[in-house]
Amino acid sequence: MAAARPGIAQGLSDLFWRRPKVLLAVLLIPPLLWLGVIYIGSLAALLVQSFFSIDEFSGLINYEFTLKTYAELLRPANFDIILRTTLMAAAVTVAAAIIAFPIAYYAARFAKGHMKALFYLGVMLPLWSSYLVKVYAWKLILAKEGILTWAVDGVGASAALNAILALPVIGGGSLSVSYIGTFLVFLYVWLPFMILPVQAALERVPANLLEASNDLGARPGQTLRHVILPLAMPGIIAGSIFTFSLTLGDYIIPQIVGSSRLFIGQAVYAHQGTAGNIPLAAAFAVVPIVIMGLYLWMAKRQGAFDAL
Amino acid sequence: MSYAVEFDHVSRHFGTVRAVDDVSIAIEEGGFFAMLGPSGSGKTTCLRLISGFERPTAGHVRIFGETSEDLPPNRRPVNTVFQDYALFPHLSVRDNVAYGLMVQGIEKRTRHARAEEMLALVKLDSYGDRKPAQLSGGQRQRVALARALVNHPRVLLLDEPLGALDLKLREAMQDELKALQRQLGITFVFVTHDQGEALSMADRVAVFNDGRIVQEGSPEDIYQRPRTRFVADFVGSANVLSPALSRRAGGPEAWHSLRAEAMEAVASEAGRISGTVTTVRYLGAIKRITVDVGGDELTVAIPAGQDAPAEGAAVGLNWTAAAMHRMEDA
Repeated sequence: MAAARPGIAQGLSDLFWRRPKVLLAVLLIPPLLWLGVIYIGSLAALLVQSFFSIDEFSGLINYEFTLKTYAELLRPANFDIILRTTLMAAAVTVAAAIIAFPIAYYAARFAKGHMKALFYLGVMLPLWSSYLVKVYAWKLILAKEGILTWAVDGVGASAALNAILALPVIGGGSLSVSYIGTFLVFLYVWLPFMILPVQAALERVPANLLEASNDLGARPGQTLRHVILPLAMPGIIAGSIFTFSLTLGDYIIPQIVGSSRLFIGQAVYAHQGTAGNIPLAAAFAVVPIVIMGLYLWMAKRQGAFDAL
Repeated sequence: MSYAVEFDHVSRHFGTVRAVDDVSIAIEEGGFFAMLGPSGSGKTTCLRLISGFERPTAGHVRIFGETSEDLPPNRRPVNTVFQDYALFPHLSVRDNVAYGLMVQGIEKRTRHARAEEMLALVKLDSYGDRKPAQLSGGQRQRVALARALVNHPRVLLLDEPLGALDLKLREAMQDELKALQRQLGITFVFVTHDQGEALSMADRVAVFNDGRIVQEGSPEDIYQRPRTRFVADFVGSANVLSPALSRRAGGPEAWHSLRAEAMEAVASEAGRISGTVTTVRYLGAIKRITVDVGGDELTVAIPAGQDAPAEGAAVGLNWTAAAMHRMEDA
């Protein structure tokens, strides 16, 4: 008999049964505190900083509400950083989606048993090693004396590589000091974050929808466009949130591989550190948040989440 | 005679599994053809051979006289109502129905008008703006039907289309499908494991077992004159009499089928055979009694008006010689 053995555990379990909301509160309050105070709270503190300004003569922070710091973002030097970072993030995202889709499609529709295990291993394995190791490895691969130049030489295609490197803006002395190099490393490092959500989304598309489309007269390309892509869109958007925001915020890759021009992350790092300009660093940090907000808003308007 | 679909010694093997094994059928144009069988008997694979989602390992499938093995599904004059409907979840009901027209490049206003006509045909006008998730099972079924009919297929394939519906809805849809088939005059090929559904709707039935057709004929043929024990067993409430039991009941020594409603209960020792009533089940229009006749059990249907013997009673069973239908030994 349950009533015969009273105790704290029994009393609590009875209480939770009578009042399920108490149980919910007990479960949720610790993570909500963590999320609310430490996570959102620190973000809010950061945002508040962006509405302060710095006194240019004394270097002290002036704690008065102003939009002056945001106006500074629009100065050509700063605006270039935002534009450069956004374009890079967009390029990386589009390329990652294009490369990830066939891989994810194969894994979701065709890979079985061992091939599926191999797929997961292949996609996840790079994530197991240190980010810095991978980035430095790529610096060596892309360097002028690196294996890539050597291999291109070996197949007699150095003229093509030189032509690419001679392109204005994105070219450079070698791949490791060009935007192309930065792009390649970003693409490599963030690709798994695109493949996995797209694969998960494709796996949820029932095979009989593809048959129904085919049965109704659609060619494979039409099925891709009208059935598979719309249903995979939430996965592609989820992946692009990763690749886009990770690229927007990264400050290590562009520092190691690429031209020495700054990206947003590097600007934040520089302003909050050596320059001591916390308000401007905060304002820079707000930029990716705003861009992501706009991006999601547009995606929603385009109906990207209709299939959810 | 022109046939809508012909199977000419068609086999479809998956590795060592013979899903379809040397099947030949000829389905007449404008008919309602049912493929009946237990799961794994090859009936769905046959349907997929017609729609083009499977290709024969051997033999030929001809659709309106044309050999169709090399024709992909999107180029065959057939459309399918899928088992779980396979409606596109991201499209409205109207766009689902108009899908077949959309991929042909028919402009929006025309295809939406035609979709509305089809929705009216299945009595779902005014549902066009909804998403499939907002419909009930029966309504989704109708949308799937409208979607498959919008291209004016010459053959409509239905893969267990009523399987997911509850009994009452299923019966209503049976009548509607039958009426629709008469109205449109196109060939319906229907896959089901429900013998009642096959017999009540189709004008020809093929019974499948182990990848082969064991019997093909009209519903009466199948019901009254099952060719083998499997058909008698699967198609309904027929008793299967072993050669020894047939002999004891005064018939020839061979396998026979005997319908439950063809027997009458009489006084013990007065019939062809006698035994003890083991169970009596009241089923409304009939009472179904089980009689133990020396080790074998026979099921007898007693019409509602007549007195049925009680459980444990000794009873004699009588029937006419014509009621015993001789089957193949297999």
